[in-house]
Amino acid sequence: MQGNGQSALSMNVEPTTIIKKKSTWRKMLQNWELYLFIAPAFFYFLIFHYGPMYGIQIAFKNFIPAKGIMGSPWVGFDHFERFFNSYYFWDLLWNTLSISLYELAIGFPLPIILALAFNEVKDGFFKRTVQTVTYAPHFISVVVMAGIIITFLSPSSGIIIHILTFLGIDAPSFLTDPAWFKTMYVLSGVWQSTGWGTIIYLAALSGVDPQLHEAAVMDGASRWQRIWNINIPTIVPTITILLILNMGSILGVGFEKILLLQNPLNMEASDVISTFVYRSGLIDAQYSFSTAVGLFNSVVNAILLVTVNQIARRTSETSLW
Amino acid sequence: MAAVVKETRSDKIFIVCNYIYLLLAFVIVAYPLLYIISASISDPKLVNSGEMWLLPKGITFDGYLRVFENAKIWSGYKNTIIYTVIGTTVNLLVTLPAAYALSRKDFIGRGFFMAMFMFTMFFGGGLVPGYLLIKNLGLINSMWALILPGAASVWNIIVARTFFQSTIPKELQEAAHIDGCTNMRLFIKIVLPLSAPIIAVMALFYGVGHWNSYFGALIYLNEEAKYPLQMILRQILVLQEMSAETTGAAVNASVAAALNNKAEVASLVKYAVIIVSTLPVIAVYPFLQRYFVQGVMIGSVKG
Amino acid sequence: MQKLKKTWAMLLSMTMIFTLLAGCGSGSSDTPAAEGNKSGEETASNVNKEGFPIVKEPITLTMMGQDAGIQNWKDMEFFKKMEEMTGVKLEFRNAPIDSFDTKRNLVFASGDYPDVFFSGQLQASDEVNYGGQGVLLPLEDLIENYAPNLKKILDDNPDIRKSITTPDGHIYSLPNIDLDAGWYRGPMWYNGKFLKALGMDKVPSTTDELYTYLKRVKEEDPNGNGKQDEIPLTSVKLDDLRMWLLGSWGIYNEVIYSDKENKVHYTPMEPGYKEYLTFLNKLWSEGLLDKETFSQTDEQKKAKGKNNQVGLFADYHAYFTLGGEPNMTDPMYAPVNSNVPAVAAKHPGLAKGAFAITNKNQHPEATIRWVDYLYSEEGAELLSNGPEGILWKYVNKDDHTKEWLPVPGGGDREEYRATLTPDYATVVPKLSNDNVKRGFEGEFEAWLKKETAEKIAPISKVPFPSVYLSQEDQQEASSLRSDLDTYVKQMEAKFVTGQEPLSNWDKYIETCKKMGGERIVEIYQAAYDQWNSSK
Repeated sequence: MQGNGQSALSMNVEPTTIIKKKSTWRKMLQNWELYLFIAPAFFYFLIFHYGPMYGIQIAFKNFIPAKGIMGSPWVGFDHFERFFNSYYFWDLLWNTLSISLYELAIGFPLPIILALAFNEVKDGFFKRTVQTVTYAPHFISVVVMAGIIITFLSPSSGIIIHILTFLGIDAPSFLTDPAWFKTMYVLSGVWQSTGWGTIIYLAALSGVDPQLHEAAVMDGASRWQRIWNINIPTIVPTITILLILNMGSILGVGFEKILLLQNPLNMEASDVISTFVYRSGLIDAQYSFSTAVGLFNSVVNAILLVTVNQIARRTSETSLW
Repeated sequence: MAAVVKETRSDKIFIVCNYIYLLLAFVIVAYPLLYIISASISDPKLVNSGEMWLLPKGITFDGYLRVFENAKIWSGYKNTIIYTVIGTTVNLLVTLPAAYALSRKDFIGRGFFMAMFMFTMFFGGGLVPGYLLIKNLGLINSMWALILPGAASVWNIIVARTFFQSTIPKELQEAAHIDGCTNMRLFIKIVLPLSAPIIAVMALFYGVGHWNSYFGALIYLNEEAKYPLQMILRQILVLQEMSAETTGAAVNASVAAALNNKAEVASLVKYAVIIVSTLPVIAVYPFLQRYFVQGVMIGSVKG
Repeated sequence: MQKLKKTWAMLLSMTMIFTLLAGCGSGSSDTPAAEGNKSGEETASNVNKEGFPIVKEPITLTMMGQDAGIQNWKDMEFFKKMEEMTGVKLEFRNAPIDSFDTKRNLVFASGDYPDVFFSGQLQASDEVNYGGQGVLLPLEDLIENYAPNLKKILDDNPDIRKSITTPDGHIYSLPNIDLDAGWYRGPMWYNGKFLKALGMDKVPSTTDELYTYLKRVKEEDPNGNGKQDEIPLTSVKLDDLRMWLLGSWGIYNEVIYSDKENKVHYTPMEPGYKEYLTFLNKLWSEGLLDKETFSQTDEQKKAKGKNNQVGLFADYHAYFTLGGEPNMTDPMYAPVNSNVPAVAAKHPGLAKGAFAITNKNQHPEATIRWVDYLYSEEGAELLSNGPEGILWKYVNKDDHTKEWLPVPGGGDREEYRATLTPDYATVVPKLSNDNVKRGFEGEFEAWLKKETAEKIAPISKVPFPSVYLSQEDQQEASSLRSDLDTYVKQMEAKFVTGQEPLSNWDKYIETCKKMGGERIVEIYQAAYDQWNSSK
């Protein structure tokens, strides 16, 4: 997108537009197969994503099922106003953002470190076992995960509380103290997804040219230096892209796990946008309202992603476009 | 490691630290997993009261018996395997060529396609128009309703594109063009064989996505015989969470008794269910791991 | 470049066209209300007004209901028997109980709904909205002409008729009717072993006595294990206890109730509610209320019960929490008097939204006759436990005395029952009364009835009739309540645990008012007055 814009700009300045145009054409013709390659994805997005896109309008309408999406009356920004004027709006926004950023700060670097560590171990039983075990928690369903968290942290019988007491530490009430909610949420998430998160980096690390390592060894580089100067630069593009993509889902904290860990005492720290929408929907199905809130999230996420991507473009070679 | 040279002192220290680090990670993760395994063969009362905390207590295999007796679980297994295999194949067929095209700097329109795809990461029509589309396409209650609406994910396309961009040398492609090799041949004969790691990752990401999904089934399927595994597991597990509110708040004695009964069963089987349903996906992983070994790719270029 | 722009334009217009087409598609399929239903003579003539089969030529209906995940509906003996008897064939489009609401909302919203909802769990707002829009058929005329059993029940119980009639005067859904239910939320129970160990031969009758009992449970080691591990009062987030404890201060229900003078109250702003908070706060600070009340799961609470640690708790039956078989040794809690006499909430006798007919249904007469059978005693017996001869048989058909048969293949009766009938863990349209249950009720059920009659019935009244709100009122109430409910729950927990001193009560009331607490009362008062004045 951006690339085209720039070439278009430069074309207007240069007098040799015609020649350029021709070469553009030639390039397109020469690479006609690439259009074939992208065709399935193009039609998929056109039909399954752009096709239903007209549904966005219900954020500005009062959706009445029997009248259909097109026939429902417009209400302008009513739903947005209701959301912004909600007693809890700022709390929700703050909780959502802080949980997301906290998660990013802890959960983003860990898989990278773990993947680099795996990469230094010879392939064998130990590596395979550790890798498979760390990968396994990803498959534990949220319901069971929440149940385990509550069991482990239960003030009367939880194993973690027992350990802390044994060590002479006065255990805080993890489950009901708002100050602990975010830590509990983030750390359990890290536990569950770090191993899974390494996969993508392990794949990227497999692209490292072994000759580089051989040469470095000849030069007397230590392992540490080789990781720092060879392995990490190889995966930097992947890291950058994932970081940008993560910034684009900053308001997208899911509701299921939070809901299961939420209670009236930790609510001031645990209530996020998605749980708020879920609760509103419980009273009755409020399609228009939840679409409006979703749209708000999307706009904020999109703005963040574009901003971060611009920064990445300026400061590195990798960016989404 | 490819180069076997004698390790220096600092390297040895590094290796030891690295092992300690991995061992620590292993223990932190292994404990709760062991807990789940022990819980799956323990008396639920002892699990819930916290008396069972490491090794099984009050050993009972009733949980597994219940799971294996349930005919629905088996049909769910069968369905899930079918949906996963077909769905992942479709995903790869759509994702890999598109990602490769987008990775090519000389592909005119690249920016447009990227923007078009990325826009859908944020904006979508929502549940109701999506349902209408599937209905108008005549896909309600068919397997394709679970597969086609998720035929590609922008996230995965971007990840695959980044991989192609950073690991397929540009010179390779230029050389191929000079040799008169078409893009199709280039992609199939050269790029794909070099991309085993990313194909493995994509297959894993999409495959696990299909394995764990239930929402499509919930919305688009009407016949219980077509339900995938996760849908059946949810019926066993989620209801238990609801019962916290409902065994007390039930409308009548018969509903209350039924809910209590379901809650007791769920208590008994929930850990067994996790193990039975995730074992296959976990077992697949060691086989995929060999594609992540360093040097596989470049080695094959040279060779 | 020009070319590129053109491509762009083309793509854009393609997208637009697609969008519009999709839009049109939904527009037309969304409004089948226009098609109307041909409930004219041609379909009615296929229906026999009395006896079985219901139809002369077999018909097929699509039905949507809640699947409990044990048996596919098409394989249930209940539906087989019904089809054989009535000539009405059914095609099922079910969704699991836990996600049924999502699916029901979606089929309504997309216009792709079935002919019939069975155990459809329709919300009052669904009835008002979809009924008003013509998606659900008004049933009162059909009941009048084709549903003698139901008509008789409604004629005998005008309150039921009033409660299922929406503000526009139509009936859009049929309820589950339970004519002798005592309470609609599991009562509280004392641990009988503790009472005995403490030498108490009667249950507490005032808040002071209750406090003393709880105190003794904590201090006197009634489970006799030498450890102070007793939990005098336990709860899961107070949702299970709230209603019963509030009764001690004259409050009938958790959110909205009407008093005997027909005045509607919003519980969290009542002075009695403050008393309730004060009492619980006292229990909390003295360690008499479970410290894990706000964090534990139902499973954990039950584990404590099975460990014999709990002195007082709420559940549908005591043995659900304490474990073991149904028994008569754990007495029911009688709401205790404070400075005012205690009150309690009574079951309104019905659970709404169990059955509805949509405008896609071409055979509403046959459909209403089909469901009407379930409001007869034989029909209700069939639906409750499946056809005679599998799980039960008649001992005396005239007075409906029945007895259980041994469970085929051994095993659990409830589990087996769930394979015969959809009446398992869901609310189905049927009648429940003494005759329907006769013979199945043993000593335990008789004891339950006696406890209810002694302890709850004398002081109970239906806290608030099931009224309908108009669409606008519903919207306003929902939007007010989504914030208000959150605030109230949070503050309840804080007051009880002492994180917020009760001296801040006035500030709390101020905030409630700001968030629309008084407006809620107005909305419900108006709806109540209308219900009261209608016939």
